[in-house]
Amino acid sequence: MTNSIRQTFYRASLNTLTYALLFFLFFPIAVTIFVSFNSSGFLLPPQGFTLEWYERAWSMTQFRRGVFVSLMLGIGSALLANALAFPISLALVRHNFRGKAALNVFVMSPLLVPTTIIGLALYVFLMNIGLGGGFVTLLIGHVMMVIPFAVRILTASLSIFDRSLEEAARNAGASLIRSFFSITLPVLKTGFIASMMICFIISWNDFAISIFLASSKWTPLPIQIYSHIQFQYDAVSAAVVSSVIFLSIFAIVVIDRIAGLQKILSQNAGN
Amino acid sequence: MSVDSLIEGRQASPPHHLRRPGLLVSLMVAPGVLVLVLFMILPLLWVVRVSFYETAQGTTMVPAWVLDQYVRFLADIWYLRNVVWLSVFVSIVSTAITVLLAYPIAMYVARATGLRRQILQTLVLAPLLIGLVSLVFGWIVILRGGGLFNSLIIWLGFVDAPIRLLYAMPAVYILLIYVGIPYVVMTLLDNFERIEPTLLEAAANAGAGGWRIFASIILPLTLPGLNAGVLVLFALNFSAFAIPLMVGSANTNLIGLVVYKQAMQLGNLPFAAAISVIMVAISAAILVIYSRLMQRFFLWRLGV
Repeated sequence: MTNSIRQTFYRASLNTLTYALLFFLFFPIAVTIFVSFNSSGFLLPPQGFTLEWYERAWSMTQFRRGVFVSLMLGIGSALLANALAFPISLALVRHNFRGKAALNVFVMSPLLVPTTIIGLALYVFLMNIGLGGGFVTLLIGHVMMVIPFAVRILTASLSIFDRSLEEAARNAGASLIRSFFSITLPVLKTGFIASMMICFIISWNDFAISIFLASSKWTPLPIQIYSHIQFQYDAVSAAVVSSVIFLSIFAIVVIDRIAGLQKILSQNAGN
Repeated sequence: MSVDSLIEGRQASPPHHLRRPGLLVSLMVAPGVLVLVLFMILPLLWVVRVSFYETAQGTTMVPAWVLDQYVRFLADIWYLRNVVWLSVFVSIVSTAITVLLAYPIAMYVARATGLRRQILQTLVLAPLLIGLVSLVFGWIVILRGGGLFNSLIIWLGFVDAPIRLLYAMPAVYILLIYVGIPYVVMTLLDNFERIEPTLLEAAANAGAGGWRIFASIILPLTLPGLNAGVLVLFALNFSAFAIPLMVGSANTNLIGLVVYKQAMQLGNLPFAAAISVIMVAISAAILVIYSRLMQRFFLWRLGV
């Protein structure tokens, strides 16, 4: 009898603690979104719903420019990283060769190096070879950062791919190239979408690498937001941050639906 | 089954059957590997090279092979105390607190089933994909002088005037812990999933209480995940620069932040390079010591 009471007590305290911690995780995000829609901004009590802060925010040139740069970077690095990662994943899943395990560790290596060091290394190196301070600088940094994720997701979706489909197409007389384009790629579509989205969202939200590589002409949105809130925080910045959060949440839900968050993000999958 | 076990499964044949990569595989792998070598390995080696440069007139780089930068950092008691020791201390404390908080969350999430599990898991992992700047902004709103937290404690009568949390050490701790929790939960979830429910039932049927089950089954079985989480998180926290940069002050000079400031604000690249080499060395040394200690602990538990 006492045993079950004690168990109930443990369970209840575990529940309470977990909900307190979940609250701790989500409170800052909720507060930001709340402020962005509150017509009195930071001031309490709330005065009512408004979209004014969003209108003001998105009429500011620096934020619009930031969105443009971040979109270009996100799309560019997602495309490039997937183009580089797909053949590597194909080799990892379908071929056996010496040094395969080493290759797997090697392509995951950007995850193991602290961002401080990746940022510094690329900054010093790219300046040295005359590639500093432009869009390409940022693009290179972002591609390095997202390649491991692309390889991981594409490898996962290739692993569960049913090769008998391809063989059937080949037996029916399709060429290697034809079967690749009409069977392999369409079946892998969801894997590609998940991979593109995760690359995009990591690039879209990156601060650590970007702050080393950004220049005054090419400033991604997170750096733009950071330099804005360094000097003033107003409800306008809450609106920009909320917009960024909304896009991230959308991506998270889609990625989770397609591929499962835990599988993609798990740190120890690389080694 | 995870991707890696699939890959490993294919490597089950003895190594001498494996051929060197053929032309096709080489062509498939070459572009990606080339890009990684060019923009990852070379820059890292270049940092090591630059760390041996001399600096003239403050920050101008002069190619050389000297230890000036290392000596300047390691011989300065101020750096050792206010940067190295501070970073070691802050990263150990924040990692420990993070793990203590993340463990019950992971246990709770792992216990949930179906849609509830799905929702809880997404909620906990979501902050990993919401950018750091967005998360920091929320905390600025909460922690600043006239912010929510200060208003609350003044209203409750704990203090008379706002206390300084933002742009000071408390904010650095809070954010390191806040950002770390999802990481640790993620590494732990895998381990919790692998525990056979029948094992717990058997223990309960044999009369073991909740605490006993936890101490002798759940904790030992999740220790590997906990260890992996601790290792990753410590390395991340030790080299952190973005969080102390955004919510810290002149008194929160973690070693990663010093690297950033030397490179980007003071323009002293050789010095920044040398500090980053030192940072990796210290971080690796601490991780090795930690692994050794854990190894000893396991051996001791096994009674060897």
